[in-house]
Amino acid sequence: MALLKVVNLHKRFGGTKAVDGISFEVDSGEVFGLLGPNGAGKSTTISIISTLILPTDGEVYYKGVNILKEPNSVRRNLGVVPQDIALYPTLTGYENLRFWGNMYGLKGAELKKRINEVSEIIGLNGRLKDRVDKYSGGMKRRLNIGAALLHKPELLIMDEPTAGIDPQSRNHILDTVLDLNRQGVTIIYTSHYMEEVEYLCSRICIMDQGRIIASGTQEELVGLVKGETRINLKLDRIDRDILQSLEAINGVAGAELVQDEIAVSGENVDMILADIIGIIAEHGMRISSIDVSKPNLESVFLHLTGKALRD
Amino acid sequence: MKVISIIKKDLKTILSDKKALAIIIVMPLLLMTILSSALRGAFATGDDLNIARINIAVVKQYDKDGDSRRFDKALRDGFLVKGIGEEAAAELRVTGEDVDPERIFLEDFLGSEDVAKIIAYRVEKEETAVEWLTSGEVSAVVLLPENFIYDMKINLLTPFRNKTDIRVLTHPDRSVSGQIVRSIVEAYSDSMTSIIIGKNVLIEAAVRHNLTEDGFKGMKEALDDITEAMEEIRVKIDAVEAEGRKPISSSDYYAAAMAAMFILFATGYGGRMLLEEKENITYQRMIIAGTSKLGILAGKFATVFLIALLQISIMITFSRFVLKVQWGSAYPVVLISLCAAFAIAGIGSMLAAATCRAGNYKMADIFETIVLQAMAVLGGSFFPIDILPSIMQRMSFLSISGVVLKAYLKIMMGYGVQEIMSNIAALAAIGFLTAVLSVLILRENGGMKDAQYNKAKTAGA
Repeated sequence: MALLKVVNLHKRFGGTKAVDGISFEVDSGEVFGLLGPNGAGKSTTISIISTLILPTDGEVYYKGVNILKEPNSVRRNLGVVPQDIALYPTLTGYENLRFWGNMYGLKGAELKKRINEVSEIIGLNGRLKDRVDKYSGGMKRRLNIGAALLHKPELLIMDEPTAGIDPQSRNHILDTVLDLNRQGVTIIYTSHYMEEVEYLCSRICIMDQGRIIASGTQEELVGLVKGETRINLKLDRIDRDILQSLEAINGVAGAELVQDEIAVSGENVDMILADIIGIIAEHGMRISSIDVSKPNLESVFLHLTGKALRD
Repeated sequence: MKVISIIKKDLKTILSDKKALAIIIVMPLLLMTILSSALRGAFATGDDLNIARINIAVVKQYDKDGDSRRFDKALRDGFLVKGIGEEAAAELRVTGEDVDPERIFLEDFLGSEDVAKIIAYRVEKEETAVEWLTSGEVSAVVLLPENFIYDMKINLLTPFRNKTDIRVLTHPDRSVSGQIVRSIVEAYSDSMTSIIIGKNVLIEAAVRHNLTEDGFKGMKEALDDITEAMEEIRVKIDAVEAEGRKPISSSDYYAAAMAAMFILFATGYGGRMLLEEKENITYQRMIIAGTSKLGILAGKFATVFLIALLQISIMITFSRFVLKVQWGSAYPVVLISLCAAFAIAGIGSMLAAATCRAGNYKMADIFETIVLQAMAVLGGSFFPIDILPSIMQRMSFLSISGVVLKAYLKIMMGYGVQEIMSNIAALAAIGFLTAVLSVLILRENGGMKDAQYNKAKTAGA
């Protein structure tokens, strides 16, 4: 049985359909990705799963229990890391963790122990005495995550937890997510950063305009886009005859001149790069640069919607 | 446990906000010091009862000779003759010549030894008397109305009774002395009423026993009792003094006024708390953590209550030891303070719920910039309400700060708890009703719907 099951979820805000009939399941122990551009409906979906708002229609089950009817059944086991920094800036990191621990019903020695453990996980154990408004953006993000971990949730929902931070903090957070998952925490991770979802998630739902436009493993999703591996070649000069020679290579689906570059595409053209280079040499041309673009979730989204993820 | 954590967190948050501390703690201390010093003259010199007697002006709005002639005519050929008979009327004309209501009021009453210890009077024209009152030369003006002599003779000598209203004009800067003059004049009126009622009972008994003429013959003896009645008034004056109402100095007044006004600012802070939490997503986070909305609201209520109580405690302590303000008995002061903080907490919670529901700070802004200032003015926090236009004085009951200020001043003046029970009840009722309203407002948002996560984002989805 799936840990979380979302069935035909709808949510309207006035005349706007924020979520338009989505269904998916999250299995225990996986990192499940919700990928989509801003405004795709990811946060609304998370708000419903977090028991913060009621859907217009549809059901959400946690371990078979309808959480819309019994919200407390999931709240005890749910940790939510909001996209915004939901902390008190004038309190110290320790005071923030203690407060959120209290809110989850922790107290005394147990709370103290969990604060120590969580501060280790998020890498802030040396800075907990400082006020949060003195923290860097990355530190605040890590503390924001820590506040959701104190009660050892089974299901952790992370909404764009790396928004607006430096690469180092971002890497730390991504590693933390994987560590938590290894410890058995099931994670729903939303982002509009394709690379993060590719790096973390075993299964992915791609959302756009309130709907799920594709879902599956990364390989399954990429499989939706055929013949899209692309090699861009910049040459010292261009002879139009070379395009026919390149298209004649077995495995090349097409070759075209794009501005001052030659673009060669095919399902696995990167595997026949040597043949391509050989043809270029035969024509007496020299290569200035080579750029190989393999199909990814960005190209899947582009393929399915006709627009880029970060439009 | 969760509520206590919320209170501790909120208190720490507010107390670490230097701007908030400046407004809710430092500013009232500065203002009470400045105002009490700047307006010392208006209070201390005008109302210091230890220095001298209270100066008043008495205005005769009547025509004494005209009134006497009118009364005499009524006894000769007017309605009185028909009512009491010619012989009795003739008797009363003789008696009436000896009865002089003006002398009774000015000499027997105001000029009596005991009253003269407190009040020094001068008879003046109305225009001059009002000018003196405005300039502070006198603390009150007593207006003896038109027909005073005629009406009082009718009242004192005949079975009939005419209404006689003696008015007292007071100056707001001399509220205490004005109050004393009013009390003394009221004592006079009460005693005269007793005499008139006693006389009427006498006449009615005589009529019932067919002794009408004998009844009026005894009128002279009855009027001799006026002297005794004046003695009775002295007793009442003694009672006025014995109540021990000490004059209110500028320090007293502005210590209480600033306490009453600045606790209102706690409502402004309380009013913003919930929406701030909602905008920071900490409200939603608390809901996800299983904290009930009622629990969160209770935390805000208690926080505002404690902030208001802290403000009052600091202001009382500061004014007691630095400005030497005598707040009066501790028990009623504590009672007022607790009830005031309770009312403020209720209003703060209601404002918080309404602001949270509206999703913007307009309501809290309007409260702080308009309602709060209006309450402060109407409540007398800037100037004693006596100097406000009468319509504003009538509206002063709408001001919580006014209710609180009046209660504190009464205790300072030496009144007992009984005298402030209406204030206490009003504050408790306000606190209770607004607390209930805040719960209803927050509940009306319905279930989980209000705790929308990341609203700005989802709205655009």
